[in-house]
Amino acid sequence: MSFGEFLLVVNYFVLGYFLLINGVYALLYVISFFEIADYTRREVFSGFSELFASSYAPPVSVIVPAYNEEATIAESVRSLLSLRYPLHEVVVVNDGSSDGTLEVLGKSFDLWESDRPVRMQLETAPIRGVYASSDERLVVVDKENGGKADALNAGICAAGYPLVCCVDADIILEEDALLRAARPAIEYSDVAAVGGIVRVANGCEVDSGRVIEVRTPREALPTLQVVEYLRAFLAGRTGWSRLNALLIISGAFGIFRRSDLISAGGYSDDTVGEDMELVTRMHRVLHEGRRKYRVVFVPDPVAWTEVPSTLRVLRRQRDRWHRGLIDTLVRHRRMLFNPRYGTVGLLAMPYYFLFELLGPVVELLGYAAFIVGLLLGVLNVPFALAFFAVAVGLGSLLSVAAVFMEEMRLRRYPRWTDFLKLVLYGVLENFGYRQLNTLWRVAAIVSYLRRNTDWGSMERRGFGPGEPGKGR
Amino acid sequence: MESTGFVWPAVLVIAGLNVLMMGMTVVLRMVRSVGGRRRQALLKEADALLEEVLAGESVPEGLNALATRDPDVLSEAMIRHLSLLRGAQRERLVELAAGLRLVDYYVGEISARSRWRRARAAENLGYLGGPEVVGPLSGLLSDGDETVRAVAARALARIGTPEAARILVRSLGDPSDLTRLRVAENLERLGPLAVEPLIERLRSGEERASAMAARILGNLRAREAAPALLQAARDGEGVDLRAQAVLALGRIGDPEYVPTLLAAARDQEWPVRAQAANALRMIGDVSAIPQLERMVSDREWWVRVNAARALASLGPAGEKALVRVLEGEDRFARDRAAAALESGGVTERIVRDLTRSDERGREARRVVRAMVAAGATRRLRRLLDDLPGDGRRELESMLRTGEEG
Repeated sequence: MSFGEFLLVVNYFVLGYFLLINGVYALLYVISFFEIADYTRREVFSGFSELFASSYAPPVSVIVPAYNEEATIAESVRSLLSLRYPLHEVVVVNDGSSDGTLEVLGKSFDLWESDRPVRMQLETAPIRGVYASSDERLVVVDKENGGKADALNAGICAAGYPLVCCVDADIILEEDALLRAARPAIEYSDVAAVGGIVRVANGCEVDSGRVIEVRTPREALPTLQVVEYLRAFLAGRTGWSRLNALLIISGAFGIFRRSDLISAGGYSDDTVGEDMELVTRMHRVLHEGRRKYRVVFVPDPVAWTEVPSTLRVLRRQRDRWHRGLIDTLVRHRRMLFNPRYGTVGLLAMPYYFLFELLGPVVELLGYAAFIVGLLLGVLNVPFALAFFAVAVGLGSLLSVAAVFMEEMRLRRYPRWTDFLKLVLYGVLENFGYRQLNTLWRVAAIVSYLRRNTDWGSMERRGFGPGEPGKGR
Repeated sequence: MESTGFVWPAVLVIAGLNVLMMGMTVVLRMVRSVGGRRRQALLKEADALLEEVLAGESVPEGLNALATRDPDVLSEAMIRHLSLLRGAQRERLVELAAGLRLVDYYVGEISARSRWRRARAAENLGYLGGPEVVGPLSGLLSDGDETVRAVAARALARIGTPEAARILVRSLGDPSDLTRLRVAENLERLGPLAVEPLIERLRSGEERASAMAARILGNLRAREAAPALLQAARDGEGVDLRAQAVLALGRIGDPEYVPTLLAAARDQEWPVRAQAANALRMIGDVSAIPQLERMVSDREWWVRVNAARALASLGPAGEKALVRVLEGEDRFARDRAAAALESGGVTERIVRDLTRSDERGREARRVVRAMVAAGATRRLRRLLDDLPGDGRRELESMLRTGEEG
């Protein structure tokens, strides 16, 4: 086989792969579309307001791991305590902060060191103390530094209620987000975990820990991520949830049955993708225990998070996400194509392995073969350009379809200018941004193979009251 | 790759799809926007016409036209008014709904093919209908769609006749968690009307429905259900039924139930024991103290937690029992006792009594010594800061002695 023929074979392979992956996306979109349409209609009759007063809603422990969060922790906790839910407590875990996180909490909430014991059902770094507050709904656990997963495990141990909601300290939850997210677990005893939608807070007006006006970010990079989040959450996770094969519940905002978390062994502290790893392990444990269960995504409860606004930080985040994905797939490789694990083993694991993990490699290979083929004259130029146009066109179609679903269900962007901006960015993200992500994810594979377990820090600008995206 | 014939059409198709999707997205938003404005205008019109009716004028012709053209919008406006009105005016609107044939319209909609139309019909009949629609609505409790079943349950509860209560209670055995939950919430709203059929359901022996019936009866504090609940607590087949019956007895709160609850506190299953501790706390009878004291050493965490909490709420006698636990051998029980004394505010009160020379002072010093010996000193150290001179010195000395010991 000559080099030219080899290039042709590679290009055919990439073309086939491309058609397959887009076919899968299209299928997921169709499932998500019907699911969201159904959810929207159901919502009209949900009697949601009655649930606020229901004596049948099990209480929830909101667990907040905090590491060096002295600037924002008090406001975050106040905002979490003011969530609308029949009965909930907030468990803050100070993960060995080197700043004044614990002191700020102590002053703000009149904490005292308590003799309350913690039932250590999971292994964690040593707990230095438990602090109680005159507001009985707040508990603070102070422990040696052990990382986010370790802090979450300590919080799960200290939680006193049957449902736990794990949130990031810097997340902004809407007032009714907790009840909306917990609702599937309240209404169906077989629901083991629930994920909610996470949205981009950059550009929004934030005051006293609440988003008071929703806008798109002013900068291009966060705006591209708005579209990306819509695609991932509304189109991807809704579809996987319908198939009961959802492998990711965002670490920033998820609800679990405490007993199921404990029996799965809690969060793993030796991975950089602890959220995906946990959900995958829960699937595995529950399947092996022959439990009838569901892991659900609801396209409704809204958590807002600040996304990276510089390429450097975004690269680090994406690198970590991809290493987390690889690590999860490697750890649970026995589930791959294994009918014992139902749709998780037969659909989700192969999808994540073939398309999410290897997708960037094939895409990069495609770009390389494409360019070399053109340079050597092996490829037909009109064909090559047409293929590129189709690739970009499909990408933008998927993004715009995600904006369509957003408009169908949530309609969070009231201004026409914001809405049209999202449609435009749905197209633009295919020119450069997507390719950049591909490069980062390939680099992450290399990084994983080099045994890199670095978390990479997220630099946040924070939000000033009443000023969109203002740096603190 | 040389045959490019199919590629350019593909490009055109994709481009067309993109344009179509963008168009659909924009059109969806516009339709929503226009539709919303139209609906608001219609609601405004309906509100104005209803105000005329409530002002005592005859039924305006426009209402008949609106009822025929947009029954859902008119119903929405009526329901909004109904939620604000009482007495004669409310009756007037209900009669008007029947007169405009809205009730007949929605009774017809109950058999619509679309589940959303059936749900809408049930929802609106709950507001606009009376006892005459209980029959048609009850059929929806066996609808294939659980949302429709849940809405029908809510509607029946709104109508609130004894017949509606009986029908709802029958649905407590529904296989769907969602429907059972909604039925339970609505039975609770019905209150006394639901008690008799719930007692019957409790005696039925079907575990899931009986357990739910016990729970609702407890929330309703239905004293007349006590004989059935006592029997369920003693002889109930399932763990959940016994646990719910025990808790319900605690909520009703008669000291007569204590012997049954003490027996439940020795049940083989920990959920029953844990709820027995809760129930004993609610009743607050000191005769339960010896049993609760033993339960603080139970092998199950939740039983220990609930028992210690119960003792902390039983006044001085309960506190004495917790001190005995503190002085005991079981480390887990000691921890739990210290935590219960702290969260019940007992530790704080006791520290203030340290300098007294009477019986209360002696008891306070005994408790603090027991806490120090058990290593439960964190709260005590914090309280040091708030104590005046003598008390502070006393507590410091006790903490020091404990450390040296």
